[in-house]
Amino acid sequence: MKAKASDMHSKDCVKVAVRVRPFNKRERDAGSRCIVSMVSNSITIQDPRDSQNRRLFCFDYAYWSHSGFVRDRRGLFVPEEPGGRYADQDSVFQDLGEGILENALQGYNATLLAYGQTGSGKSYSMVGYGPNKGLVPKLCERLFEDIRENQETRQCQVFFSMLEIYNEQVVDLLSRVSRTPGGLRVREEQQRGFYVESLRTVPCESASQVAQLMEQGTRTRTTAATHMNANSSRSHMLIILQLKQIFSKESITKQSNINLVDLAGSERQRSSGSEADRLKEGTAINLSLTTLGNVISSLADAAVGRKVVHIPYRDSVLTKLLQSALGGNSRTVMIATLSPADICYEESLSTLRYAERAKRIQNRAVVNESPTERLVKELKAENARLLQRLSRLGQEGRRANDETSKTFK
Amino acid sequence: MASLSSDEWRAICDKFTNAQNLTDVESRNDPENDPFRSKYKARELLREIYCSLKSFEAGEGDEDGGAESSEQRTAEPPVDGQREDGFGEGFSGDSPAGLRAAKLGAVEYYLGVNHVDTEELSAGEEHLMNCMKQLARCRVTSENVSLFIHVRNQLGILWAGRDETETAQGFLETAESIYQRYMKEDGSPPTDMTEYFTSEEKLPTHQERTKRFELAYTHTMYYLAQVYKNLGETERAATYCHTTLQRQLQLNQFSPMEWALNAATLSQYYITKGRYMEGRHCLSAATVISGLAGEVPSEAVAQESETESDRREQLRQKRAEIARCWIKYCLNLLQDSKKLLEDNIGELDTDRQEELKRARRQEEEDEEKGRKSALLFGSEDTFDSIASLEEKVCCLFPLDFTEARGVFLVGQNYVKQAKEYFQMDGYVTDHIEILQDHSALFRGLAFFEEDLERRCKMHKRRVDMLEPICNDLNAQYYLLIRRQLMFELAEIYNEMMDLKLTLANRQADTQSLDNHTIKKFNSLCSASAKYFQMFLDSLCSPEGKVPEHLEEEVLRPALVARFRVARLHSRLISPLPSAQLDNLNKSLENYKYVAEYCESHPEAAAAVETELELSKEMVGLLPLKINRLKAKMATNN
Repeated sequence: MKAKASDMHSKDCVKVAVRVRPFNKRERDAGSRCIVSMVSNSITIQDPRDSQNRRLFCFDYAYWSHSGFVRDRRGLFVPEEPGGRYADQDSVFQDLGEGILENALQGYNATLLAYGQTGSGKSYSMVGYGPNKGLVPKLCERLFEDIRENQETRQCQVFFSMLEIYNEQVVDLLSRVSRTPGGLRVREEQQRGFYVESLRTVPCESASQVAQLMEQGTRTRTTAATHMNANSSRSHMLIILQLKQIFSKESITKQSNINLVDLAGSERQRSSGSEADRLKEGTAINLSLTTLGNVISSLADAAVGRKVVHIPYRDSVLTKLLQSALGGNSRTVMIATLSPADICYEESLSTLRYAERAKRIQNRAVVNESPTERLVKELKAENARLLQRLSRLGQEGRRANDETSKTFK
Repeated sequence: MASLSSDEWRAICDKFTNAQNLTDVESRNDPENDPFRSKYKARELLREIYCSLKSFEAGEGDEDGGAESSEQRTAEPPVDGQREDGFGEGFSGDSPAGLRAAKLGAVEYYLGVNHVDTEELSAGEEHLMNCMKQLARCRVTSENVSLFIHVRNQLGILWAGRDETETAQGFLETAESIYQRYMKEDGSPPTDMTEYFTSEEKLPTHQERTKRFELAYTHTMYYLAQVYKNLGETERAATYCHTTLQRQLQLNQFSPMEWALNAATLSQYYITKGRYMEGRHCLSAATVISGLAGEVPSEAVAQESETESDRREQLRQKRAEIARCWIKYCLNLLQDSKKLLEDNIGELDTDRQEELKRARRQEEEDEEKGRKSALLFGSEDTFDSIASLEEKVCCLFPLDFTEARGVFLVGQNYVKQAKEYFQMDGYVTDHIEILQDHSALFRGLAFFEEDLERRCKMHKRRVDMLEPICNDLNAQYYLLIRRQLMFELAEIYNEMMDLKLTLANRQADTQSLDNHTIKKFNSLCSASAKYFQMFLDSLCSPEGKVPEHLEEEVLRPALVARFRVARLHSRLISPLPSAQLDNLNKSLENYKYVAEYCESHPEAAAAVETELELSKEMVGLLPLKINRLKAKMATNN
């Protein structure tokens, strides 16, 4: 079942969807219990050790993909009965993918963020499996379809790049040359915004070509992770689809980026300064004095009111690269994926909390206007003058009327 | 220790060294699929040590009996924060029984930390509490005080991780008071816990002992800072961060750039609280300590080697960050002072100024007193340089142009420094923020400038630095920054327009303005309206449709922009009645928008109360004025 938040204004901040998957084999064998339930767009999670302890969360979308489905002849997982509560890949795409595509075609940036512990169904939602294609391939198919259909009115170019951010270092996942020590540089220019210097961008002409590149990048990511003795779940992965549309008749060019982000989700990892960490709930104590800076920053951060101060190193590489995506006319969607099983309670709860905080991520750029007191004072004086004049005029007018009426008596 | 042969003792010491090595060094290379391999090995060794200690030393006197009874005494695990542990009765730390308790306690401590590291929190807690029980039998002395502090630090971490912040607070605050009392009553360099299992020849020096002990207490301070932060007691948290920094400096346990940046960040906290003296102190210390990191390698040197190029980048960036913290100091000081001195229309209130100047003397005395009681940074060799840097800028509110100019110039100098690193090419957002601060510094200074001609020039400087950027930035990527710039430019032009008019009226002594002034006035007026309109247009949909609903963060700016556009149109001076009519209609249209928007969105009214009231009045009055003009035009035709 999918549910929409009814009265949401089209706010700039992130729209958040949560999806819960069926049990996997391991969970079934272990005789797992489902501890997640959904009603409309709210989701409840129950502590397996304390049935009284339930937490309720509300999101823009809540997708029940845990039960109530069958596999049809084409191999697609669909609801058991029409109108059933099972949310299939199509309905997820309709809610989340369509908007992103539409925005990109209008010439605005769009971002899809995915978050969830390893094995929570994140790849199924993003990439899919077999005929059950996920958000990214569907998005690409529709994008190239739209490009073909509108060939007469506009010319389009699509560029693909794929990178990984590990420990604040950027690694090109499509690069054929060996990696640069220290990672690639993130720069910023007036016309381009933030970008990764000398990142490989590959022109693409079809969805299948994109799929191929994605596979290539994913392979590089896995080998790189093994190489660094690191788990890939500790790094962010970012795919950038650049769309350039040239309308020759009107002689305008529209350029937009579609960012597809796989957020680092390992709950065990501690304070690498990544975006995911920043949103994590923190009552735990940082042990090392090397994190003193974070503690002080958060104090200063919390104290920022009307005063504007400078807090060094607030923005992570990911935040920078997504800067233009987190405000203004761009659209940002997050999908958080959950396991339904009791054994995953802690991880699932923390995913839900993360998703809740994500609703509030926003590019903070407030317009600070000066007080209007002087203006108000001037205007009040002017109004008074105007009123006075009008009332005088009114009297004169009446007098004139009186005189006129006298004359015509 | 009679029952333990020296060989057996040596074996225990070796096991301990091994366990330490496994925990601290080997464990870093453990594979992903067996991440705690070395820690488990270390645990085994610790267990063996524990058994050896227990079996060899058991029956050696009356401790076991004593242990029984003392355990009954402390049947309830000691919960800290209720009483001051360790200075009452019990074995002396240097008695055989006391040493035995400390050793057993230390092994329990290491086992506890080991279990916590492998995410077995309950087992870890049990071991740590066993350590507490051992210590509960002893008085605090130099032989065991380090363990007293360490175990409480660990329990603090453990409970904080479980979201039981108050429990954590209890342990850490007791550690704090044990340290303070020990330093007051004894203060000799205490035995480090590792010494319990170290053969004579490897014993640390006094200096080393002190260093380790003080470091443990620095951690207590740091953990308390976090606990207070999590409890929402930010002021206390800041004090503890401050103390942590101060101790790092005193004990020479810091890396200069990191320390400097932390101190600079802490200054920003103080600034938000209006505590400029502390803010200035942090910043001065930051600048001085960052100097200890050495010269920035030249570009030529950096090209030669990667380490040098890295170092160059790091030093330049961090020093630029510190400069930006200084800019905010100067800026906020100017702005706060302006708020104190301005009258109800934003002009300098000279009565208030006099009053504050009179109160100044008292403040200066207070400042002196404050400095004496404040937590000051510095080692012997940095103390003076920090103080002399502090003297370069005031920390009291500037009350006249000369004082304001002093603050402005310091700020402007840091603007220059910060821009050297944060150049437009490569750091657009940072660079623009620095320019916006520069503009705001001018704005603060202009408030104090009595000469209107010069004030106007200051505003012109602001236009010159912001206008080109606003027009050059990519509208899609920098929408929000551009909105800020548009609004600011609109306000500056408006300000300049008002100044020109005041100046002209002063000189002319009559109401009539000469043509040149009218032209100037109109061009400033139109420029202001243009930027307000640009701001409003930026809120429209891709098709150019005005939004039906204004987002919260732009609600007030958008309505105020409408209101001000309305006002500006009605002020344009034109001899032509048809143009006058045009302007008045545009004015009316915008006043109407404000009134109508608030009617259809009643929740918006609160954000623009006065503006709304006036807009409504104008919607009533302007049609009359328009009609009069129309009538006049009709008669004249």
